[in-house]
Amino acid sequence: MNELLSAEGIGKSFGTTRILSGISMSVAPGEPVGLFGPNGSGKTTLVNILSGLLLPDTGTVRFDGKEISRLPLDARYRLGIARTFQIPHPYPALSVLEAVRVALAVNASKRKEDDGTGEDGGPTGDLLARTGLFNQRFVPCARLSQGCLRRLEFARALACRPKLLILDEIFSALSAADEADLTALLRAANRDEGTAFLLVSHNPPLLKSLCRRILVLEEGRIVRERKV
Amino acid sequence: MRNAAPFRGGWPAAGIGLLLFFPLSSPDAFFLDVFTTGFLLAAFAASWDVVGGVSGQITLGHALPFGAAAYACALLTSLAGWPLPLAVAAAIVLAAAVGAGIGTLSAPLAGPFVALLTLALGEIAHEAAVGNTFFSGPGGYAWGGEGGIPLTLPWRDASPFLSYYAALAFLCLASFGMLRFSRSGAGLILRAVAGSPITAQASGIPIARFKRLAFTVGSAFAGAAGAGFALHVGRATATDLSLELSFQAATFAAVGGRGTIVAPVVAALVLHVLFQGLSLPPSARILLYALTLLVTLRFFPGGVVGTARDLASRIAGREGARPPGRHGRNRNGEVAR
Repeated sequence: MNELLSAEGIGKSFGTTRILSGISMSVAPGEPVGLFGPNGSGKTTLVNILSGLLLPDTGTVRFDGKEISRLPLDARYRLGIARTFQIPHPYPALSVLEAVRVALAVNASKRKEDDGTGEDGGPTGDLLARTGLFNQRFVPCARLSQGCLRRLEFARALACRPKLLILDEIFSALSAADEADLTALLRAANRDEGTAFLLVSHNPPLLKSLCRRILVLEEGRIVRERKV
Repeated sequence: MRNAAPFRGGWPAAGIGLLLFFPLSSPDAFFLDVFTTGFLLAAFAASWDVVGGVSGQITLGHALPFGAAAYACALLTSLAGWPLPLAVAAAIVLAAAVGAGIGTLSAPLAGPFVALLTLALGEIAHEAAVGNTFFSGPGGYAWGGEGGIPLTLPWRDASPFLSYYAALAFLCLASFGMLRFSRSGAGLILRAVAGSPITAQASGIPIARFKRLAFTVGSAFAGAAGAGFALHVGRATATDLSLELSFQAATFAAVGGRGTIVAPVVAALVLHVLFQGLSLPPSARILLYALTLLVTLRFFPGGVVGTARDLASRIAGREGARPPGRHGRNRNGEVAR
């Protein structure tokens, strides 16, 4: 199968504690994949390695045919791997609009189409409207609700028109309405733009409804792979 | 970006107008000198704010590019015989290069470690300047050490009026330049890096490069202020590299309101003119600066501007209802609250 992201033999330890052991996995272009596992199974560590926040002790990560094992987080974002955080870290002094503009700033061509106000239907305005944040664009990020912070995370991730989204527990602690909205957004990104995603969640029904394949991680190893 | 909102208002224009008028109403040489020094220190404080406020890299060695430029001016004019404009330009380039070096060294660090690194670098330079007499001028005079190095200037005694207006013009131009930079796309990214480096990196921002940019730009302006200071006093001394100077700049920014550029300028002018104008001895001034900083950090952590914004927000009670301006800011350049 044609692979967008592949990991081979990923291992990671913190001190004497082994977190991941010989993980091998892949995501095809446009494929929705779930990652499930109990607390402490190494899901976030794996996500951190795939997104470039951590470097693996062993193994390689390839994306779009290129070896990216040593590339940092920002370089992987520019390649088209965008990730969200389980606990968002908003910019306290920036408004929602400014936070989205920062993410769009990495792509100069996108920025040139935009007058920066977010009111012209340019990339900033589109992204804000799509993620339901348009009416809150002037609100400081520090004052957003948990649901809006997750939407902002999503907007930030979508800003680079990613080929792969890595979503770490993006649906946890959300209201039913926010969960439904974000689910629709994720489906739309996958269906309309062919964006593949790796969704980390503790919620099996949600994973089954969104993903075509679910990987089960236990004690740092992928123990099962289930097609939906 | 084209947002220079604070310059649209009447307050800055009124302030500049008053400063333009001041020498005509009170042509006292002492006060003219106090203000001239104050303008240069205010530009230096604003340059600290580019690094420590806008981009959140708390530096305690900001005197290093200031002093490096002052020493470069002195050495290039007195020892190498360069024409003054060329020496000043080279000094500013040197200060920017020093800033780029500091930025490169501090880029992998965060928080207090940036402060400690910059403190150490500044102190190394200061001690080297105090303890060594590197050069001997014509006639056997020792240069360097406590006495510093004189500049060779194309004029003998500069008119206090001329110095005053030249320093004021420099302050206005430098502040405008720094304000434009802080409101540019790069400034927005620097504010993001200051707020949450990990989110900025996850948004594709190469944060090490932007931290280096902040140090380079801030240091270039600090170098311009340092060169101006050396021209004003006619000499580069080890005080130009001192921790006291870096501490003063950080105090001005904290008191005025970090990340605003204009507020540290105003705080620097008010505090410097007040403390210097009272002819207090240097030890008393340092004590007063330290007390001012302590009171500010304890009771007004956002500085004057931050406290005023909070008060205005509470009084107005219209959070989130402010009409939009460019870049999501209101007419005063503030994020809508």
